[in-house]
Amino acid sequence: MADETLLAAGSWAAAMLRSSTPLMMVTLGETLTQRVGIVNLGIEGQMLCGACVGFAVAAQTGSPILGLAAGAVAGLLLSLVHVALCLGCEANQIGSGIAVWTLGLGLTSYFGRSVVGGKVSGLEPLAGPGFADVPFAGPILTQLTPIAPLAIVSVLIAGFWLYRTRTGLNWRIIGESFETGRALGIRPMLVQAQGTLVGGLLSGFAGAILSVDYTQTWANEMTKGRGFVAVGLVIVARWNPFLVLPVVLLFGLSEAATLRLQATGLTLSPYLIGCLPYVVCLLCVVIVSIREGRVGGMPAELSSVFSRRS
Amino acid sequence: MSRISRIRFLAACGACVAFLIAATIFLLAIGRPPLTTLAQMAFYAFGDTYSLSESLVKATPILLCALAVILPARLGLITVGGEGQLYFGALAGTAVVVGFPDGPIFLLLPMMLAAGALGGALWSGAAGLLRARCNVNETISTLLMNYVAVLLVNYAVYGAWKDPGSLGWPASIAFPPAATVPSLWGTRVHIGLIVGVIAALILHVGVTYTRWGIALKVLSGNRKVGAMVGFSFMQQTLLVMAIGGALAGFAGICETSAIQGRLQAGLSVGYGLTGFLVAWLSGQNFLRAVPIAILIGGLIAAGDALQLYAKIPSASATILQGLLFVAALGASGLAGRRSARYG
Repeated sequence: MADETLLAAGSWAAAMLRSSTPLMMVTLGETLTQRVGIVNLGIEGQMLCGACVGFAVAAQTGSPILGLAAGAVAGLLLSLVHVALCLGCEANQIGSGIAVWTLGLGLTSYFGRSVVGGKVSGLEPLAGPGFADVPFAGPILTQLTPIAPLAIVSVLIAGFWLYRTRTGLNWRIIGESFETGRALGIRPMLVQAQGTLVGGLLSGFAGAILSVDYTQTWANEMTKGRGFVAVGLVIVARWNPFLVLPVVLLFGLSEAATLRLQATGLTLSPYLIGCLPYVVCLLCVVIVSIREGRVGGMPAELSSVFSRRS
Repeated sequence: MSRISRIRFLAACGACVAFLIAATIFLLAIGRPPLTTLAQMAFYAFGDTYSLSESLVKATPILLCALAVILPARLGLITVGGEGQLYFGALAGTAVVVGFPDGPIFLLLPMMLAAGALGGALWSGAAGLLRARCNVNETISTLLMNYVAVLLVNYAVYGAWKDPGSLGWPASIAFPPAATVPSLWGTRVHIGLIVGVIAALILHVGVTYTRWGIALKVLSGNRKVGAMVGFSFMQQTLLVMAIGGALAGFAGICETSAIQGRLQAGLSVGYGLTGFLVAWLSGQNFLRAVPIAILIGGLIAAGDALQLYAKIPSASATILQGLLFVAALGASGLAGRRSARYG
């Protein structure tokens, strides 16, 4: 009896981790980007590019690892556009982000047609089917691929790096004040470019995780606004990589819960259930925005682009 | 010509050149002769009466969605919610038609259009309320609400409103003649275009010559100063968001009624996003948005025609829009830097 409860709990945890892994990566990427004072709404387009290229490469070569790497590179390349526009031309960041999204949308729906219906094999699970009956850990080990622990570890590493190393400190300084950064001999543009490119890499990787490892298909606009959800979750996580972990996991739990509810025979339209991630994300943003003054955490240089508050 | 306006002019030229170069590279990359294809696009956009009318058909929702972006931008708000407002407006307007399919035209048509506009206004006003009351960033909320509105339309057309006679195709009942927006000149162009142009004129006059325009300008510059002279940011936020949403919602119900003839899932091909592009290309100017919307409408209509005749997928039009957006943003960003240098 206790075993069954543990198994059920394990499979819940597995479902939660599986559905939140891509989101965790892209939220982490956007957190790092925004920490250096850049808002990139283009991560939605970068994710799409990562998903499309990653899937195409994985299907061609038969290697999911190559696919994931190619997806990350694709996201990085697209984020170069954002870097060129925002830092090279000093264009408006929100506008530039939407432009990058449009490009990603167009490119993937144009070139993605040729990979529709392709087949990829995802990564191997952490453990073989023999472990399926181990209480709690069984479902997790057999259903999850190494990507999930990788995502958790990268969030922790990023948080540690941001708060405990010299370069992390430099990034935080740039996010708070360009002037102070300049006075300390840090080049704001360089750090901002790095931050945006890291965000691009992670969002492309997240897209590839989605198409290669999670759904193992490619479909037009398959990211369905996950990039924008990530931008919302960054606000909820108060621009803190360590907080990205609980926020994204809670979000994944709510998604897993609805899927489970549906499986128990609750007849609810899949379209209504599909609304849930956006509604939950918006509600979370509303709650933290009301408490804005008390919780804080927004990098000061960000407020000039993101939430004009005078 | 003053130095600043010369810089602006050069920026516009630079953006055009950059876009043409980028478009050429893209067309070469997909193995199409660039000059011929661009000439073909120009022809399919504005070459004859039929092409022109199709371009105007596409331009109508784009213009209305662009106005829905420009007005909030005058208050310093950046909304990307045109798509969601369009969908929700279509949903609200269709509710009237589904509820009273046999109503007389003098009742049904205005009720439907009003419901569409009201739906869009509510959808957008919700984001405005969140912005004004809870300080929720309007860009994020409108982006997220887009997806919800599209899903709600899907829910309706796959569920309760699905026409049993449509043989499984997810769509509402066909709109009766009493609920069909009148078309113009015997083409598919409908009165939505006229409404869009008139709305652009009224809004231009409103923000340029009235006290309201001053309120928007002061509040977008400094909210505290605005409050001191008696302008309410909250009130204005709700107002601009609701008016913008009403225009986008109106676009949605017009598109449903006049073009599609029934509510279906693929109602819009990214008109909201294209409207955002037009708003930015126009420099958030109502009057300039009209010709630019027609140009971009032509680009999209040409994309459809090329898909039909030259077998180039219409997604190429999205790529070209993205390239145009990148070129325009880059040029205007550089121009802003130059003019800042000359004060």
